[in-house]
Amino acid sequence: MGRTVDRYTVNTVIAYGVRRNITLILKQPIMHQEMIMAGSKSTNTGLSDLLFSTKYGIYRRNTPQYTLGISAILGLEFPTGMNVFSKDTWNMHPGVYVSWRSGNWGSDFNIAYAWNGFADKGRGGMNPGHQVSLDVSLAHQFSFGAKARKTVAPVLEVSYKHIFADRLQGQTVANTGESVLYISPGVKVTLSSLILELLVQIPAWQDQEGTQLKRSIAPMVGLRYMF
Amino acid sequence: MIRYIFLMMLLGGFLMGGSAYAKIVGPEKSSVEQVASETRVYEVFGMDCPGCHGGVEKLLKKIAAVQSVEANWKKKILMVTVKPGETLNDEDVYEAIRLANFSPGKRLQ
Repeated sequence: MGRTVDRYTVNTVIAYGVRRNITLILKQPIMHQEMIMAGSKSTNTGLSDLLFSTKYGIYRRNTPQYTLGISAILGLEFPTGMNVFSKDTWNMHPGVYVSWRSGNWGSDFNIAYAWNGFADKGRGGMNPGHQVSLDVSLAHQFSFGAKARKTVAPVLEVSYKHIFADRLQGQTVANTGESVLYISPGVKVTLSSLILELLVQIPAWQDQEGTQLKRSIAPMVGLRYMF
Repeated sequence: MIRYIFLMMLLGGFLMGGSAYAKIVGPEKSSVEQVASETRVYEVFGMDCPGCHGGVEKLLKKIAAVQSVEANWKKKILMVTVKPGETLNDEDVYEAIRLANFSPGKRLQ
């Protein structure tokens, strides 16, 4: 069809530990998109929707050999982003997060559901499709200095995302809904309370309904400050 | 007679000088005592990256007797320096570690 879309994302995150097992997280993605269609190029840069989440620690086991943590997450996504990047609806994001750490190795597992448009409808009165995602990641930390205040960790993340088709007046909307399997290598740099994450999302397998654009390789940068 | 008086004066001089010397270098303690600060090392389990340091260090610094604290996630330890002349209760340190969502181990030093 002669269309290509390249999208780049910078996720800025602030996390604040309110209590020993409650963390408030604010995530604001900044996006840049270049689309070429019928020989014409358009570029957009701006904010995507703001996501406010609460992470509640359900279970934690700290031992000399390993640490295991299980948390429940509930997020609320606000339709505050630029038109081209916004889902245009209020969305709820419940999920479960499991982390395991042993020595310099760390592994995370996350299962999340996005209840898109739980309180309203999208453009044209559509009920946007919900989303299910599974993420697994593995990282190994290399620390620097006697005080170990700086680390660099190569990361490998495997994610599966399934977006259900949109619905309008009870009918499935054509050219909506997809499944994608991503393999994302990257690196995570930790400088005391500041964490910088670089990931390259590679769609290893994908299936889109209808004539939707295929997903392409997308770099992601994350900046997280914990206090 | 004169020799006797001279000997008595000499003996008196020794006695007086001796006592003065004893006052200068006698066995009494110095009036200024140095109080050294104490550094303790505790095991901590659950820290898995440098980002974990800030929270537990902040909680420990709230304890009045703590002068300084340094966490090390890799060595799984917390080094706590006690203010000179102050008393630090180990249980207060363990409680602060638990509040940070970590688990205290033994006191190593």
